[in-house]
Amino acid sequence: MMIHHTRFFLIFLLLISFIALPLQATDAPTITIRKSDALNVAFTGIGGSEGAAIAEIVQHDLKLAGWFALVQPGLASFSVSGVTAGGVLQGKVTKGGETMLSKSYTGSSRAVAHQFVDDIVQTLTGHKGIASSTIAFVSNRTGRKEICMADYDGANGRQITHDNGLSVSPSLSPNGRRLAYTGYQSGYADIYVIDLTTGSRVRLVKFPGTNSGPRFSPDGNSLACSISKDGNPELYVVGLGGGARRLTRTRGAESSPTWSPSGSEIIYSCDENGAPQLYRIGAGGGSGQRVTTGYGYCTEPSWSPDGQRLAFNVRSGGGFAVAVMDLGSGSARIVAQGENPVWGADSRHLIYSTGSTITLLDVPSGKSTPVVSGLGKVTEPTWSR
Amino acid sequence: MRISPSSLLSLLALLALAGLTGCANKKGQQYAGVDGDYVNGTPLAGNAAGDRVDGANFLGANVQRGQYAPVQFAYDSFSVAPDQDSKVSAVASALQGSGKTVIVAGFTDDRGTEEYNRSLGEKRALSVREALIAKGLKPANIQTVSFGKEMPVDSGEDESAWAKNRRAEFGIVK
Repeated sequence: MMIHHTRFFLIFLLLISFIALPLQATDAPTITIRKSDALNVAFTGIGGSEGAAIAEIVQHDLKLAGWFALVQPGLASFSVSGVTAGGVLQGKVTKGGETMLSKSYTGSSRAVAHQFVDDIVQTLTGHKGIASSTIAFVSNRTGRKEICMADYDGANGRQITHDNGLSVSPSLSPNGRRLAYTGYQSGYADIYVIDLTTGSRVRLVKFPGTNSGPRFSPDGNSLACSISKDGNPELYVVGLGGGARRLTRTRGAESSPTWSPSGSEIIYSCDENGAPQLYRIGAGGGSGQRVTTGYGYCTEPSWSPDGQRLAFNVRSGGGFAVAVMDLGSGSARIVAQGENPVWGADSRHLIYSTGSTITLLDVPSGKSTPVVSGLGKVTEPTWSR
Repeated sequence: MRISPSSLLSLLALLALAGLTGCANKKGQQYAGVDGDYVNGTPLAGNAAGDRVDGANFLGANVQRGQYAPVQFAYDSFSVAPDQDSKVSAVASALQGSGKTVIVAGFTDDRGTEEYNRSLGEKRALSVREALIAKGLKPANIQTVSFGKEMPVDSGEDESAWAKNRRAEFGIVK
């Protein structure tokens, strides 16, 4: 008997070592970026008559990008500079004597500065930048709820809808050229799509019942949304050219879909088992599989463009908090107090609503910057990629 | 253990019976037992293209609101509680045979997030619609809309205000 016990114990040890080793091995990759991980960049300004205005925007963008520590030239690994002449910005990034980036940009001061910084981010980190992106959100500044837009840093704020009613739940297409939202002009909730280039608008989804919460697919050609015409709010995918495909069949209410980067899957919220929880389903349909988050109330998920993380609302005290979950490990943590987080193109920043502000959060560093304020209650942000 | 064909058959028969009685019990709640599928309720009526027939705006002048007491709901719930049944009956008996259209508008308290509350409000409106259908109103004469947490009747932040705001209102199309 003793021999048996020993043998079992040895086998047990052997098993443990097999289990423990891979765990240690997979423990290494971490998403935490420490200050020392930031790239040391010296920004030596922009020459030329329009240089000062552009330099200010470049500097702000470089700070908000999160990847860089702005340092004196002597301490820097990279040097960023530029010169303007005849409405053209010539931007340059060097490393020692080597030129990493040299490109000319035309357009408004803000546009050329943003494009330059996005190219710097792409060149030095390999990631897509957020500087040229736009955001949209709901504002009740007029006493009604209207959709407004702004640059990612809150500049260029403008009101898009003038429906004088309820216009809510906006979604920007990934390229930022279309805006879908839920509008109540008919007295019911319908889904409208605005072509931001031409200004034309169509009422795309107008089934009986409530049609709400449109979210653009990564290719920008369809919308996932919630439609109740069958007698229950269900998840649908609607093509911009027409056609509606039902994805779910449950007793609960489906809402707030978010697409995987490839567009093959959707994560959404459903309350069929009591408090709302997150589920995952193929974009062609099937049965929704529960996404275990560790939180009891989860709504309005946003899937990061790199596919690795999910941000969503959780209930926290009397209000709501923003949680971020690593989809690989399943570990989740609260990163901010607020609602409706949305990932930016860099899969590093979130924007979310605090009620009075739309705030930009650099998730690795925890640094938050209010970008929209003073427009009444601002809610339900969306972000182009 | 080896299962004989006959015992397997009786097991299947038992399961089938259990399934049948299960269906019978839940019929009133609109459950169906096909492949785990669920028949959600009574589809809403649209035009030939399946779209909504426009014209009646719950907030517009052609809809009479406030004539009937709103149905109240428990927190995070969409079921019509027994003590709310008389409110549904009042609307059903008043409209019976009139051919009039009623719009049921669902609302929530302001403690949930925006889009989730829109789906919860719609679920509440649809529950009331099923209750009206069960009391004899024609499905084609009942439309629904959800406003989520918009337009609270009481802007307070306490249980008494929240309870008033969790509601489904009736609007009768004139």
